[in-house]
Amino acid sequence: MASTATSPSFQKPNSVTVKGFKIITQKLPILKADPIEEMTKELGITPPEMIFGDNFVAIEHEQSPWGIAFNAFDALDRVDKTGTSMLKVAYSREWQKSREKTHEGIKEVVKPFDWSYTTDYTGTVKPGSRPFIATTKPIPIELLKRPDPILFYDDVILYEDELADNGITMFSCKIRVMPSRLLLLARFFMRLDNVLFRLRDTRVYVDFDEMEIIREYQSRECEYEAVRRTLAATRDDVPAVMRDPNRLSEILPLVEKRLERVALTE
Amino acid sequence: MSDLDRAIAQLRACRLIPEAQVRELCYKARELLIEEGNVVSVDAPVTICGDIHGQFHDLMELFRVGGDVPDTNYLFMGDFVDRGFYSLESFLLLLCLKVRYPDRITLIRGNHESRQITTVYGFYDECIRKYGSANVWRYCCEVFDYLALGALVLGASSELEPTGPSMDTTQSTMPIDDELETEILNSRGEVTMSTYRPRPQHSSDPSSISPPRDISATSNQAPFRSGAAGTSASGDAGGSYGSRTGAVLCVHGGLSPAIDTVDKIRLIDRKQEVPHEGAMCDLLWSDPDEIDGWGLSPRGAGFLFGGDIVKRFNYRNDLSLIARAHQLVMEGYKEMFDGGIVTVWSAPNYCYRCGNVAAILELGEDTSNGGTVARSNGDYGRSNGILGSTNKAAVRSPGRRYRVFEAAAQDTRGMPAKKPVADYFL
Repeated sequence: MASTATSPSFQKPNSVTVKGFKIITQKLPILKADPIEEMTKELGITPPEMIFGDNFVAIEHEQSPWGIAFNAFDALDRVDKTGTSMLKVAYSREWQKSREKTHEGIKEVVKPFDWSYTTDYTGTVKPGSRPFIATTKPIPIELLKRPDPILFYDDVILYEDELADNGITMFSCKIRVMPSRLLLLARFFMRLDNVLFRLRDTRVYVDFDEMEIIREYQSRECEYEAVRRTLAATRDDVPAVMRDPNRLSEILPLVEKRLERVALTE
Repeated sequence: MSDLDRAIAQLRACRLIPEAQVRELCYKARELLIEEGNVVSVDAPVTICGDIHGQFHDLMELFRVGGDVPDTNYLFMGDFVDRGFYSLESFLLLLCLKVRYPDRITLIRGNHESRQITTVYGFYDECIRKYGSANVWRYCCEVFDYLALGALVLGASSELEPTGPSMDTTQSTMPIDDELETEILNSRGEVTMSTYRPRPQHSSDPSSISPPRDISATSNQAPFRSGAAGTSASGDAGGSYGSRTGAVLCVHGGLSPAIDTVDKIRLIDRKQEVPHEGAMCDLLWSDPDEIDGWGLSPRGAGFLFGGDIVKRFNYRNDLSLIARAHQLVMEGYKEMFDGGIVTVWSAPNYCYRCGNVAAILELGEDTSNGGTVARSNGDYGRSNGILGSTNKAAVRSPGRRYRVFEAAAQDTRGMPAKKPVADYFL
């Protein structure tokens, strides 16, 4: 078969252990045809065009069974597979209307599912882990703003799709590990051109000394036109901002927020 | 050295040419392209390439692997621009080569060769960044409107000439008198896989042979063929045999329910922005899928077509293969529907982060007919059970050589750093 791409940027699993917490990341090329076929079968939906099925980020506590991981399969398993929440591209009506007469026989939508790959995935908790419970205790942002040395950093894509040139959808994880704490941001970002923006952020904060984990989930969403209008009133480079989930997270209104906590000492 | 040769040299070095020269180049290109039909006829041998997406250094790698223009005859199936960082250098170089060697390179239109798409996916921004205005973008878009919608490769050989030493051990078990149908080569030119098929038998009664029964495709022992191709010497009711293999239709996306013959593509008024409606849009946007018949994409726009559609279209048009691009395939190429259609993808490590390999498809020239190429795409026969018709003999698919290649080394050229830069994200 075709030889495998061996780009130096793709490495063996990276890992670091700080105060009893082991952090592992793996970045490999997108899946080949056979594993994609397998995944399609198991998921029941067509995976995104760029599917980094071997990539993951994992955090494990060495002295207890607690652990959490983020991987593409589990993220995609939470995508709506029924088609009940299906979006339509901006020019869908125009497209379909122009074809009503000529191709009346073709009405059937092939394998309907949420092709925007929207997911509320907040990570896969290791079996036997002490469970998360709802809390009001927020992630201590001030502590995370301190310029503590970053001992380990990685940015791992799980999947990405160009929505057939109708925007972008992407699930990626960033993690930074400092001497006393870590922050993981797992972000689903979707822009359907001229239709909608979506952000689903999961932040996992681990305090190594307190042996405490806080997980925050935020869902943000806004119509494309409203975002465009907001940006038009600024001096910003609008197309650039529309590609930048960091900037968009300041603009998109919050739809849902959840806080959970687990303490490994109690 | 002419200005054009100088421009080619400069672009090959990934340096842009002045705006005035771009303008002149685009003007010349348009004059040339306006003469081309919607479906360009291309004689084998030809090397068919898929999406490039502004990955200039990988385009250079493609030329290294596939041979240079004009030594190699190229057919690019669109999506030259957007996504990558060097859409301008890539497209302008291809355009220069087109103007310089019009008969050695064919460019057809992809869905990214459009004003609307390039405004969103990078090419417009790149033009502004590199030239300081939208002028060059405008010149290029005018060229896009004149690009052909498809190409028909004629005179491809059903059998490959084997490439040197093979790393594939399976072939030693193959009978020697089988013919080489496909070959996969890595970027060093080493064979990594080969497939064979039985050589058709000599016979004066083509109907007794099945499934492949094109008697003109007997062997490389040309002098002993029972009936010269194109002469109807076989006496088959399906008409004269114009070629050993059927023609190969190349198009960026795929088929359209509004198009049942290649000739209908010829009737489209193509000199416009890619519309949302009609056959022109479908040819540039649709995708094959494992379905029966036609389907609508769940996205609410775009057609999907199944294997039966491909079979019927190929049969009706005496095609042995449809080559298309448009979709990322990790192995660089993907054959579907019993080899009736192939997706070719030529952008390795797509978007500088996918780690995929790319491929180009070489079709050899059928020399058994003294180099004469049948011009028709409707005369030579084929047989296929699905329509219950038996008066057409089977066309044999062309021998297919895939050259698979990886991304050009990136360290030297100021790409975005692969090692993520640690930041204090919140």
